[in-house]
Amino acid sequence: MARVAIEEGYFTVPDDPAEAPRLLGSRCGACGEHFFPRRQVCARCLHDGCDDVELGPTGRLWTWTYVHVPLFAKKNAKVSAYGVGQVDLPEGPRVQALLVGGPDDFEIGMEMVLDLETLRTDDDGNDVVIMRFSPHRAAGAHEGGERP
Amino acid sequence: MRIEGAAVAGIGMVRFDRYPDRSGAHLARDAGLLALRDAGITLAEVDEAFVGYIQPAAMIGIKAMKELGLTGLPVTHIENASATGLVAFREAAWAVASGRAEVAMAIAFDKMTDMARNAPSRGTGRDQLDSTILPAAYFALWAQRRMHDHGTRPEHFAAIAAKNWNHGALNPLSHRRPDHTVTVEEVLASQLVAEPLTAMMACPADDGAACAIVASTDWVRRHQPDRRVVRPVASALQSEAYSPGHTFLGPVVGPATMTRTTALQAYEEAGLGPDDMDLALCHDAFANEELEYYELLGFCGEGEGERLLDAGDTALGGRIPFNTDGGLIARGHPGGPTGLAMVHEVVTQLRGEAGDRQVHGARRGLAHLVGGGSVCTVNLFETD
Ligand SMILES: [Zn+2]
Repeated sequence: MARVAIEEGYFTVPDDPAEAPRLLGSRCGACGEHFFPRRQVCARCLHDGCDDVELGPTGRLWTWTYVHVPLFAKKNAKVSAYGVGQVDLPEGPRVQALLVGGPDDFEIGMEMVLDLETLRTDDDGNDVVIMRFSPHRAAGAHEGGERP
Repeated sequence: MRIEGAAVAGIGMVRFDRYPDRSGAHLARDAGLLALRDAGITLAEVDEAFVGYIQPAAMIGIKAMKELGLTGLPVTHIENASATGLVAFREAAWAVASGRAEVAMAIAFDKMTDMARNAPSRGTGRDQLDSTILPAAYFALWAQRRMHDHGTRPEHFAAIAAKNWNHGALNPLSHRRPDHTVTVEEVLASQLVAEPLTAMMACPADDGAACAIVASTDWVRRHQPDRRVVRPVASALQSEAYSPGHTFLGPVVGPATMTRTTALQAYEEAGLGPDDMDLALCHDAFANEELEYYELLGFCGEGEGERLLDAGDTALGGRIPFNTDGGLIARGHPGGPTGLAMVHEVVTQLRGEAGDRQVHGARRGLAHLVGGGSVCTVNLFETD
C-alpha cells in the first residue's frame, strides 16, 4: 500500500517508512536565504530565481500549544486533541505544524524531528499522510548525540 | 502623511449578535441608515462609498448598497481580513482629504454564523496542510512564547478578558453584556481551547454591520455646529516586512513588529505619541494579544505590559483605557464591521456621549487592527 501526501509540494514521502521525510523548500540563488514552502522570488533580496532544496528534518521548538478541539473538525481523523508548534529549522525558516505527543511532552528549545502520520485511507487504498514534528528522543537521551 | 480637512459626520451600527433571520444586506442597510441619520443626510449627499466584508462572495457589497438607494455613486469593495472595516474607513477619510469627495461612506457587514454553517470547507475542515490549525491555536503559540520569555501567567490573560467583558456590560451596543462582574477565576474556569487560552479569552462568532460617514471639516462645522468635531488625523496601513525566520505557511499571527512599525508611522504622521492618547481600541480576538499591543503600540516598554495591566492603567478609569466598548471579546467581531465599530466607539467617546463608560475629557483615541496575520492598521483620531 502506497503512502500519499495530504497535499502535494510540501514534504517528501520516502518509500521506506523508517526514513525521515524532508521539507520541500527553496534557496535563493543570489543571497542564499532559505524558505519553506517553495517560492520563486526571494523574499529577502527579491532575486527572481530560487532553487529547490530539501530542508530539515530536525529543528528546535520555538513555541507550542495543545488544542482541545478535534483535528479537522472530526472529518477524517479520530483525533480529539492535538499539539501545534513552530519549529526553527537550522537553515532558517520557522515552520508551523502539528506535533506528536501530549502537553507534558513539549518544552521550548527542545530538538524536534519531522515524521509522517497516516490520517486515513483514500478510495484507491493509499494511506493519506500529513507531516508533523515529534520530540527528538535520540537527541534528548544522548545530548549532542547522533542525528539522522 | 497627516490627514487634513476630514471629519466624522455620522456613525451607526447594528449591535453585533446572531441574526439568523436578517440578511447581511439588511444589516448593512440598517447600519447605513443610522449613520446617515446621525449625519443628517440621505445617500443623495454621499459622493463615494467603500464597502467592506470578508465573506467569500463576489459583488455582495454593491448589492447591499442598493438597499440604501441607487444614486450612481462610485462603490469600491474592500477586503483585508479582520482589518477590513478600518481600511474601508481609511479610504473614505482619504477620499475626503484628497478633495475628491465632499462626503464619503465606509460601511461593512458580515455574518460569521453563515460562514461557519455554509462553508464547512473553511478552517479546520479543509483537507489541506495549512488548515489544521485553529485561530485559537496560533494565538496560543504567541501566548506560550510570552509566558516563556516574560513569566506571564494565564491569570494575566484572564484579567484582560475579564476587564473587556466588564467593559461590555457598560455598552448597550456590546454583544456580550454580562449581568454580573466577570472575575479572573470565571475566565480561567471556562473551557480550555488551546493552552493557555480558554473560551472566555476569545471573541464570539457573530453577525453585524457598522457604518461611518466622513465629510470635509468645513462641511461638518457647517452642518453640525453644535457637535464636537472628531477628525481622523492619521491612518497607517502596512503589510508584512520580511525578516529571517518568517513563517509563510499556515494561518499565523504575523510578525509582531508589524504593529510596532505601523503605530510608529501613524504617530509620526500625526505628530503625536502614545502619551497623547486618552483611549485605545485594539485587536483583542484573544486576550493575550492586548497584552502584547500595550507594548507594541508604545504604551509601555517591552516586558512591562503585565505591570501596566496590574496597575489598572488599561481599565476604564485608568491612564490609558483599552477596549472601552468591550473589545472584540465582548462587543464582538463579525469580521468586516469590526473596525467600523471601533470608529463608532472612538467617535462616541470623543464626542463625550459614551454614558457610563465615558473616558472623562477624552480628546484623542487610537484604533488598531491586524488582519489575517498579514496586515496591520493604526488610526488616530482627535477632537478640538
Ligand atoms: Zn535572495
